[in-house]
Amino acid sequence: MFPFTSNTGLQKTTSYKIVLPFYIFAGLSFLLACILLLVNTSVVHQHYFHPKTLAITHLMALGWGTMIILGASHQLLPVLIEGKLDSELLAYFSFIFAAIGIPFLILGFYFFNTGSVLQTGAILINAAVISYLVNVISSIYESKKYNVYAWFMATASLWLFATTFFGLLLVFNFTRSWLPNNSTEYLSVHAHMGLAGWFLLLVIGVASRLIPMFLISKYTNTRTLWSLYALINAALIGFILLKTNGSFTGFYYSPFILALIALILFGNYCFKAYKVRIRKQVDEQMKVSLLSVALLFLPLLSLLAVIYFISSSIKTNLVLLYGFCIFFGWITAIIFGMTFKTLPFIVWNKEYTTNALIGKTPAPKELFSQTLFQIMSLLYLLGFLLFIFGIILLNDTLLKTGAVCLLASAVCYVSNVAKVIFHQPKK
Amino acid sequence: MEVITNNNLKCTIALAGLYNVHDPEIGLNVVDLGLIYQIDFDEEAKEIYVSMTLTSQFCPMGESITNGVKQSASNAFQDYSVSVQLIFNPAWNADRISIEGQEFLNR
Repeated sequence: MFPFTSNTGLQKTTSYKIVLPFYIFAGLSFLLACILLLVNTSVVHQHYFHPKTLAITHLMALGWGTMIILGASHQLLPVLIEGKLDSELLAYFSFIFAAIGIPFLILGFYFFNTGSVLQTGAILINAAVISYLVNVISSIYESKKYNVYAWFMATASLWLFATTFFGLLLVFNFTRSWLPNNSTEYLSVHAHMGLAGWFLLLVIGVASRLIPMFLISKYTNTRTLWSLYALINAALIGFILLKTNGSFTGFYYSPFILALIALILFGNYCFKAYKVRIRKQVDEQMKVSLLSVALLFLPLLSLLAVIYFISSSIKTNLVLLYGFCIFFGWITAIIFGMTFKTLPFIVWNKEYTTNALIGKTPAPKELFSQTLFQIMSLLYLLGFLLFIFGIILLNDTLLKTGAVCLLASAVCYVSNVAKVIFHQPKK
Repeated sequence: MEVITNNNLKCTIALAGLYNVHDPEIGLNVVDLGLIYQIDFDEEAKEIYVSMTLTSQFCPMGESITNGVKQSASNAFQDYSVSVQLIFNPAWNADRISIEGQEFLNR
């Protein structure tokens, strides 16, 4: 008989049928965003409130970053909160609403149809986010595990809803003047709710659990994680209050400093986990993920420059640099790394769970091409750097060359993702 | 980590098979990873009870690992049926990795 009587049993993980559509949609969005970037490099010379820039930014933020995070978090939420995903139906709704809503929103921005096309997109995206938010909150509630990771997930999801709901108001404000000022006045609040509230909180919450787990590191520091949580939220709320009260621009340094302290703490947390790791060999995917932590400091540097030159004409260029460093730098690097740390396992589980020991079973990392991954990483780094210099120097050749390299890296990424998804076990 | 058992000889045979069951992410076998807590043999009922853990209760690889353990024990003792029980209290931690396992991960 079994000697143990409590806390037993294998918990059901989220079905691959929920997760894979998000990955496919995200990969195609990234490819499309790189194509649009290549054919519209001239937008770098113009104001950031340009239809094409808005379309590319939203495609990167929603189609690429948010879709892949939604997909991965449906898989990872049970690991983080030690409880199962509450509703698979809500997860499907979340995908369907977003997959229809995002193309509407992008088309609306690209052709600057501020009426029904943009509004339909915004409404559907909000429906997707509400489905996700309800699922996250109810899963946490059902699991009864209110740990720091659960707080990161729940708060990030709330900020995502705040971002998309505010976005909806801004969209309707184009035609109905629902808000006291012009929509452009609120762009920075809308953007930072999404960047710091959604992306930064969620990535830090998930990475602080996954990085030590993948490195098999004993390092953990819940106090640091709570400090990070408080600092990021305080920085964001502080910025929103300063911006909406029309405060003296010099005050913007205070939320910046809070965010800077948070990132230094997070960088230190990752470094400590890395230092005491048991698994000495770090694979390419983890290296790219760790690189993304370092890449967080680039947008912070550009943000500092934006605040310093807030009244100058070069601010527009710096804002573009800031946005580019976030979406094509930090977010893309972490997605590149984490896609090939999670997707092969999801597909491997689908194909080999029942016959793990029968015949020759490949390792999950053998489901994608390591060579293609390395080529993708090199092209990406080259493209990213060239495009940054292109923005700084306003040089078209650098911008075009950078965009070509980024597009080539997107092709490698999508090909490798397809290789994993369409993997067939050898007979 | 030592595995508790009521039959040392048969446990050694079972463990020899379990050295071929690997955690797909880490690449280390379940014995050196310290996932196996106890293997008991019920000679009358011809039943093997394996008590083991996973690195996380919601480990996405959990089902394939437990399937591997079941198949391995069934292959070693074909006239026995195998039951696997997952235990999360005490939970797995890195201290459970054997010296051989640590050497493998150090490479």
